[in-house]
Amino acid sequence: MYRTTLLRSIRCATQATSRAQRPAVQTAFRTPFVQSRISTPASSISAVRCYASSSSLNQDEITGRIIDLLKNFDKVQDATKLAPTAHFTKDLGLDSLDTVEVVMAIEEEFSIEIPDKEADAIHSVNQAVEYILAQPDAH
Amino acid sequence: MSQPAAFQVRSLYRSLLRQSSQFAAYNFREYAKRRTRDAFREHSTEADERRIQELVQKGIKELQVLKRQTVVSQFFQLDRLVVEGGKEGKQKGNRNDIIRQKDHGWD
Repeated sequence: MYRTTLLRSIRCATQATSRAQRPAVQTAFRTPFVQSRISTPASSISAVRCYASSSSLNQDEITGRIIDLLKNFDKVQDATKLAPTAHFTKDLGLDSLDTVEVVMAIEEEFSIEIPDKEADAIHSVNQAVEYILAQPDAH
Repeated sequence: MSQPAAFQVRSLYRSLLRQSSQFAAYNFREYAKRRTRDAFREHSTEADERRIQELVQKGIKELQVLKRQTVVSQFFQLDRLVVEGGKEGKQKGNRNDIIRQKDHGWD
């Protein structure tokens, strides 16, 4: 909301300056912040940063972090089978207790808490990545 | 093991590990986690339903003990041990695992 009002006020200000070329009036109503914006080309206006924008976790990054985490997990029997599609029990040789521990490690890595039901449904790297992608507060 | 029982056991395992990591003191924390892991591994081949239920009940009792004791342990401020590895070490300060150092050497 703040961003749109800011952009609108900048647009109004630029229109005003193009219409009336009176420097004395301009400096009277401009704040220093707006002035600095106008002096730069119009393309830089889009660089206003919104702090409410969503985090930039993409799929590759999540997959990489999960695979790194599994590499350090000493119960993974065959590290060569570590792939984005790897299944915890079928490919990596983990049992159900290990799977619980892996999911808890993933929780800690991304600073989230996965409820029991959802945590129990995660059986592969794929599913974990999908779940993390759906979480807005994972980082 | 039947499906609901398996889910119950996994859920209990998760809660026990979660609760264990709440201990403020390093030694208690690591012991609780290790003990949980070992106890579940020890009985991982259990097939008798009745015996499994007994063990689950025991686990629930232990969970209650953990809940009480973690609260008590957080009343006491302890210096971090060298093995815990400071703020840059293994523990990142996520789940309350970094305790504020007592200030030494003032006045």
